[in-house]
Amino acid sequence: MKKIVLVTLACGVVAAAPVRSAEPAAGTAPGGTTPATAADVEALRQQVQSLTTMVQTLQQQVKDQQATLERNNSTAPSLPQDPETPSAGVTGSPAPAASPPPLFPTTDSTVVASAPPVNPNGTTTGAFPTTDASVTATSDTGSALTQPIPIIGGGNNKNYMNISFDGMFVLAGSSARDLYHIEVGDHDPQQRGFNARNAEIAIDGAVDPYFEGFANIVLKLDNNNQTEIELEEAFLQTTSLPLGLQVKGGQFFAAFGRINPTHPHTWEFVDTPLVNGRLLGPDGLRGVGAQISWTAPVPWYSQVILAVQNGRGGTAYSFRNPGDDGVFYARMTIDREANALRDFLFVPRWENSFNLSETQTVLLGASGAFGANDTGSNSHTEIYGGDLLYKWKSARAEGGFPFVKWQTEAMYRRFEAGRGLDDSFPVAETFDDWGMYSQLLWGFKKGWVVGLRGDYLHMQDSPFTDDFTRQTRSRISANLTWYPTEFSKLRLQYNHDVLEENEFFAGRDVDSLFFQFEFILGAHGAHKF
Amino acid sequence: MKYLTNVFLSAALSAIVATAADAKIKVVATLPDFAALAREVGGDKVDVSAMAKPTEDPHFVDARPSFVVQLRSADVLIDGGAELELGWLPPLLQNARNPKLEAGKPGRVEASQGVRLMNVPTNVTRAAGDVHSLGNPHFMTDPIIAKTVAMHLAQSFAAVDPPNAAFYDANYKKFEATINARLQEWGTAMLPFKGQSVVAYHDSWVYFAHRFGLNIDLFLEPKPGIPPSPSHLAEVIDKMKAQKIKAIIVEPFHDRKIAEKVASSTGAKVVDFAQYPGAFPETDSYVKLMDTLVSRLAAAMK
Repeated sequence: MKKIVLVTLACGVVAAAPVRSAEPAAGTAPGGTTPATAADVEALRQQVQSLTTMVQTLQQQVKDQQATLERNNSTAPSLPQDPETPSAGVTGSPAPAASPPPLFPTTDSTVVASAPPVNPNGTTTGAFPTTDASVTATSDTGSALTQPIPIIGGGNNKNYMNISFDGMFVLAGSSARDLYHIEVGDHDPQQRGFNARNAEIAIDGAVDPYFEGFANIVLKLDNNNQTEIELEEAFLQTTSLPLGLQVKGGQFFAAFGRINPTHPHTWEFVDTPLVNGRLLGPDGLRGVGAQISWTAPVPWYSQVILAVQNGRGGTAYSFRNPGDDGVFYARMTIDREANALRDFLFVPRWENSFNLSETQTVLLGASGAFGANDTGSNSHTEIYGGDLLYKWKSARAEGGFPFVKWQTEAMYRRFEAGRGLDDSFPVAETFDDWGMYSQLLWGFKKGWVVGLRGDYLHMQDSPFTDDFTRQTRSRISANLTWYPTEFSKLRLQYNHDVLEENEFFAGRDVDSLFFQFEFILGAHGAHKF
Repeated sequence: MKYLTNVFLSAALSAIVATAADAKIKVVATLPDFAALAREVGGDKVDVSAMAKPTEDPHFVDARPSFVVQLRSADVLIDGGAELELGWLPPLLQNARNPKLEAGKPGRVEASQGVRLMNVPTNVTRAAGDVHSLGNPHFMTDPIIAKTVAMHLAQSFAAVDPPNAAFYDANYKKFEATINARLQEWGTAMLPFKGQSVVAYHDSWVYFAHRFGLNIDLFLEPKPGIPPSPSHLAEVIDKMKAQKIKAIIVEPFHDRKIAEKVASSTGAKVVDFAQYPGAFPETDSYVKLMDTLVSRLAAAMK
């Protein structure tokens, strides 16, 4: 601001000076009615002289001010300027030169391409400039490497944390009145009409030089439009352990398979696969605990992960889960405290990835989940899973398109269903349940993806256990998604469900149509492969 | 199980032996232009690999697990430091667990360091499309900036591998001299077109334009990252006719057909451009790529 005032002042004085000095010149013209005396001329000359001095002083001040500003702002220029533009070129005020300055600037290097700029370092190497102080900072010393990036900007990336909001909504139509029995995930549409099952606040950032922190807080509306809130994830993770080790602790999704550890907005379909919803649980397998992972020093990508969690409550569905109203798989549950190490939930995983070619990647994983369950005083659950991901992406991909992605997960669960609280249930059973899904996605054009998914879930039939979640069933889904940008999404999906008859429930077919829309605000963390 | 353990151990051992045998420093670059400069500066004392392919959109690179393997054992990582790789580098670094590559360490070169980025938005809103809050990150197409990046690479390599410091410095000086000499040729070739306008598919040529006195401020994309719409293209065609614009530059990952359509209705030529060495045959070095760009554009604007 001060600079502008001074420049304006300087310009004003410069403009005024010649006008005044022109007056006596006109006056001395032949035929003038009031010929000036020598004294008058001398007085005017002195006046001009003093004004010129004043202009020069002011110009010097302006230059000094600008130099200071430049020095202070050298980390924050908005646009590169040509080296000759500062002061003289931009303001139009004449340079303090020996020859009389022009009255009005005749060149302006900011609006027309100018002659090659003067090399500020003086090492002229030819006609075309080979250095340009306006695009690079003054020649640095090695110390620059340890300094923060001296680039400008509002410093939008200089926050302590990234925060984002994700809102996901589904308009659902279905031949089933009880959509909440058909859809198996807690973030899936639960009723005909509009659903808001996943409004998520995600926060992440560096805690200090040793840890990063993450938090996901999810808000959802139930079928009575009451808000439910859940602390989906909140954990810290080490950043600087040696030997390829990493430890995390807090509330987090277990690294079981491909879909379980991810958030709904990254899913390629509107709803949870049957096998995930029924074996790992509607909320996904997550809980409070700690995890250690190690990337093996082998030439391909190989990571071993082991998590230990309490394995208690609804988010540990197949484990120490008291169930709705204290009933799980028709048994009155025992709210078991952990009595031994084996009552905790252990989730190991081993994943390997390699590239088939420059454009094709494969990832193979094997996971397990082992722990106690609440249907008996000594009953346990084991889940085994295998997953495969294949992805091809064009070497000339724009915005990540085109691509083909094939993902398959299979799981087997051995569930020891005990006799419940006080042996109140007539029998103890062991369920061998298994299932899988396979999905193929084709991103055929920038922003557009078509998907096809097949689901199968086999639940062992039982003449004793009356529970609608134990119906064997299958599903086929097809969808089309448009991503206007990576921050918004519109998706249309059709599901055909077949529920097979068992001891307690009749078989039925269900057709559903979903329209999903989603937006993301803020700085959202990048996604893993 | 025992067999598996053996495989593991022998693989680990062979990896260790291999590292000891050739003591080259391992350099990983996010983008092929940084990799090309690393090869100039590092010569045979470094082993350089790039993550993004020269022909793909650098904004959207898959965080392939194989990159984690590259980063895990890297001595130096070169990234742009200007949020171009924001969508894929952070999870890779998180998973790589390599303390040598932390920001601030000599093994981490953020190439935009010391570069004054252009087009810094005063107001960051995604309504303006894919806008980078730190400024336009496609800065390597200005050879003068490339020299600065090369200098930082020489400093980093010298810090990581002090016995060869003089070697890296000499290579940097050689590169600087080459660029200085070539700038005369490139400048001369582009001189007749000073002040003329060129259309680009995406706003990634502002530094190139600034260096050679061109105006590249009309784009087939209505906003950065937003696909061209018919109404916007009609507008571009009108402006191109009015300004008699002769060239449309497209990159390998852009939809060339759209550019061809615009070209056919304006009489302009489509020029295949690329920011990354290796995108075209015979462009495996930075200088060769710039040679190609300058000669292609000059031919089209004649």
